[in-house]
Amino acid sequence: MKMTARMLVFLLVATALSAADKIDLAKGQKHWAFQPVKKPALPTVKNKAWVKTPIDQFILARLEKAGLQPAPAAAPRDLQRRIHYALRGLPPVPNSKIVDLKSEIKIQMATPQYGERWARHWLDVVRYADSNGLDENAAHANAWRYRDYVVTSFNADKPFDQFVIEQIAGDLLPTKGEAARREQRIATGFLSLGPKVLAEPDKMKMEMDIIDEQIDTLGKALLGLTLGCARCHDHKFDPIPTADYYALAGIFKSTKTMDSLKTIAKWHEHSFATPAHKKLKEKHEALIATQKKVVNAFTAKANQQLLVELKLEKLPTNPEGKYSKTNQVELAKLNSTLKRLEADVYVLPSAMGVEDGNATNLPIFVRGNHERPGEIQPRHFPRALSDGKPISDKVSGRLELAQWIANRNNPLTARVMVNRVWRWHFGRGLVTTPDNFGKLGVKPSHPELLDWLAAWFVENGWSVKKLNALILNSATFQMSSMPNAAALEIDPTNVLMSRAPLRRMEAEPLRDSLLQISGQLDLKVGGTIWTFENYKLVFNHTSEDATTYNSNRRAIYLPVIRNHVYDLFELFDFPDPGTVNGNRADTTIAPQSLYLMNSPLVHRTCATMAKQLLAEKKLNNTERVEWLYVKVYNRKPTANESKRAVAFVNEFCQERQASWQALCQALVSSNEFLYLK
Amino acid sequence: MMTRRDMLQRTSLGFGSVALTSMLHGENPLAARRSHFRPRAKRVIFLFMKGGPAHMDTFEYKPLLQRDHGKPLPFAKPKVTFAATGNLLASPWKFKKYGQCGHQVSELFPNVARHVDDICFLHGVHGTNPAHGGALLKLHTGADNFVRPSMGAWVSYGLGTENANLPAFVTICPTLAHGGVNNWGSAFLPAHYAGTPIGNASIKAKDAKVHHIKNPKWTPGQQRAQLDFLKQLNHDHLGGVPNPILESRINSFELAFRMQTAMPEIQDIRGETGATRKLYGLDNAVTEDFGRQCLMARRFAERGVRFVQVSHSDSKVQWDQHGNLRKGHTEKASEVDKPISGLLHDLKARGLLDDTLVVWSGEFGRTPTVQGSGMDGRDHNPWGFTMWMAGGGVKGGFSFGATDDYGFYAERDKMHIHDVHATILHLLGIDHEQLTYRYSGRDFRLTDVFGNVAKEILT
Repeated sequence: MKMTARMLVFLLVATALSAADKIDLAKGQKHWAFQPVKKPALPTVKNKAWVKTPIDQFILARLEKAGLQPAPAAAPRDLQRRIHYALRGLPPVPNSKIVDLKSEIKIQMATPQYGERWARHWLDVVRYADSNGLDENAAHANAWRYRDYVVTSFNADKPFDQFVIEQIAGDLLPTKGEAARREQRIATGFLSLGPKVLAEPDKMKMEMDIIDEQIDTLGKALLGLTLGCARCHDHKFDPIPTADYYALAGIFKSTKTMDSLKTIAKWHEHSFATPAHKKLKEKHEALIATQKKVVNAFTAKANQQLLVELKLEKLPTNPEGKYSKTNQVELAKLNSTLKRLEADVYVLPSAMGVEDGNATNLPIFVRGNHERPGEIQPRHFPRALSDGKPISDKVSGRLELAQWIANRNNPLTARVMVNRVWRWHFGRGLVTTPDNFGKLGVKPSHPELLDWLAAWFVENGWSVKKLNALILNSATFQMSSMPNAAALEIDPTNVLMSRAPLRRMEAEPLRDSLLQISGQLDLKVGGTIWTFENYKLVFNHTSEDATTYNSNRRAIYLPVIRNHVYDLFELFDFPDPGTVNGNRADTTIAPQSLYLMNSPLVHRTCATMAKQLLAEKKLNNTERVEWLYVKVYNRKPTANESKRAVAFVNEFCQERQASWQALCQALVSSNEFLYLK
Repeated sequence: MMTRRDMLQRTSLGFGSVALTSMLHGENPLAARRSHFRPRAKRVIFLFMKGGPAHMDTFEYKPLLQRDHGKPLPFAKPKVTFAATGNLLASPWKFKKYGQCGHQVSELFPNVARHVDDICFLHGVHGTNPAHGGALLKLHTGADNFVRPSMGAWVSYGLGTENANLPAFVTICPTLAHGGVNNWGSAFLPAHYAGTPIGNASIKAKDAKVHHIKNPKWTPGQQRAQLDFLKQLNHDHLGGVPNPILESRINSFELAFRMQTAMPEIQDIRGETGATRKLYGLDNAVTEDFGRQCLMARRFAERGVRFVQVSHSDSKVQWDQHGNLRKGHTEKASEVDKPISGLLHDLKARGLLDDTLVVWSGEFGRTPTVQGSGMDGRDHNPWGFTMWMAGGGVKGGFSFGATDDYGFYAERDKMHIHDVHATILHLLGIDHEQLTYRYSGRDFRLTDVFGNVAKEILT
């Protein structure tokens, strides 16, 4: 090959750049999160009586060192509410009380609603959505199978390491029967659910962008590492050289995510069609064909009649209009049957997911530009965290990658997961950047506790249910959220956990609670309520929204449409479903209040409750107020509250039901309902 | 008494609670903030032409293209294009010199042409993505393969709003296709920086409303009584213990109540004179819809909203003439020419043009080479196109940059979309390198690691 002067300059520059960019791996490896997890000894504390679990010892030791005491135990009613929302995302049954806390926690975790609540947390992390978003918003009409897989996994308390392996490489695992094989392949939807630029004309760029999204998601979700940062240059802060990025990218290049890159590109789906399914589809198609024949035969006959009756040589344009009344009616009937058959398409079952392609290695693309290939990188895992040995040329390396991540010796996986669980219970992680454990992430507030939990989690079979029980049974979790003066002074931001956090209900528990207290919530588990043709654009050039959210099923089953998330979700801090997010925001904005004041959902809910309330003919107004307080707050009103509420209803307006609806709306808009103390 | 500083320290939510605290003190979380340096513009009205108007048919006259009609493009086309195109296609429209500057404008925009002495034409703009979705996202967020905050969200994060009863960023009748909400979203910025959509592209401007702005059942008096009752419930719940989170929630209902009145007032144009309505083309069925959008934009700008986007995009991809160029572009231009001209005139007459930056742009331009056998279409062209600005600190009657002789590639004084963003922020008094937000351990900005301010166009 002849080298031009320009190429030479380019090579020189590239070499100089890569020399300047060299990362000091040994130095980078010293970062706390890359150190092996060592289970620390439990610290000693003075106030031994307070301690219920080892967690409490870590928390209390720090508090005592700062001269603080933990907040008193939460009021039983507040604690009951907190536990119900933590485990099921739903309010307690009105008039119920917790008798035995330990067994109550167990009971809650055994309900199917537990899996739904915890699946939703995980879906935040894996940027779950029912449409592609980005440029061409194609429907992920089969994404729900992955969602069901996640719900089932949490309900079954699938060991987290196994859960991780299945999501990266379930299709490559040995199978134990058809059902398991199917589940494992559905699990790989994890890699396929990301937003893709489906109309990217540069196909190589499209492919590299998809791979980048997979690496970015995998890194943040499972390892707390921003691996995607190393695409264009060595990672600026963490020991991830560009070479390691392309070594990982090779694994995904060796994986088949897409079926077609032609605009609009199509992702791959695993087919689960059995011969029986195929037969049913054929049968349905045969029915359509037959009906078409019937219609054609009828038209031919009717046309013939027309020619004879009107004594014509040639058929007029639009002959149907000239048919006899009976013929017209008959034809319309036949056509409507045909339409119905055609509309009722028989869809063969399939699920988004990946499988192995041809094992290949990628070159480094200089500055992330695929038109500037550099040196070929054998596939391997990041060298700062592994031996960096090349993966065999015979496999994609995906299964090996999964096993490396889900290994008990990987310093990040367990730490990242226990921190996520902690974050979901307390509103803030021990590491406050749950998706970034790298140098730019925030250091843990309680490093020993984090390590102790990570080690305990692995020892206990990576069981999320056990971890949840451990946390919920702790005195730390059971504290009141009321700060005392000393705590406000010394621990103003509650980093030391001197009290429980005050938290607003997230979007889904808020919506589910509204339906629950008005007796409308449908607790059916699994499946899909959204029927939309797979790959079809949810928004094409029109901006008309064909998606509705009127179902009474739990919020987790409502479609998540990227680029146009359900307004209730959008307003109440549902995370952007296009990116990994283990740390939902908790904002207070005026449009949330507009929603509570004016939205159809809130009005419908309160109207339903008012109707139910007035249907209780035997109740007087005071008793009605009590009924309402018990439903909404799970407590009886004080005499004063009762008097005030009755007065409000009497004065609000002439129409009784409207007045009760207005009262009900005030209660569900109140802080006592919206916040968990 | 608790000081503001105490309150800041006592909240546990980091940045978001700064906003909460302001709210607690009776301020809007979007309260106006100081810019980095003296701003030339206080607000932006962004007129977005969806689909991609052809620059060589509107504002950039190309004599060689007219001369060489039917000949092959004398240099290579890009390696990757959206669709295949053939030989050169001369503009079917005549150009004429206007104003003191003598800038040439095609007969598609006779009304806007009268304002050339107030307009700064940027002929060397280029982007990266040749598909609608990617190009829209690039233009609105600076990124086409990741979800990033939109330009308007960055501006409201940087500057806040001047009106306590209104959001800082509104977008009138935006399109839900091709990036949809992401084009006005806040991504990882706190939610109150997101644009507030008023209707969408499938809704007529006269029916466009903010979500849930109107109560379906109660009279204002009843709702006031209900909110007063709610306030009592919330005060009891506080139990006399100060709590910034709960108190800001209480205040958010008051702000919402005020917004309910403020928003419809702005949208209610009954108070505008007949002359003003005519100016915007409200008296004509062709221009009525976009004219109303432009008039609303002025009313929002007047009341202190920082960033107002107006989208020319109904249920079709407006300016996307792969075929039927003559008919399509004529139609589209006739819908917007009068309203835009009216807006510029009105802003100037009211003294608003001095500190309002008006930006006109599509997501890309179109190719000088023909698409389709009908000799009547052009493909997408992100490699070189025209954008223009007016008012707010840019030189009027000025042209900056150019494409090549035929209009394919930006050639002289090129401005990438990142440069456009840097320049818009600069005009607002913001240093695009300083306006950052830390997310997931990294400082992000609108211009990523790019962006140069086009100093040449500043007054």
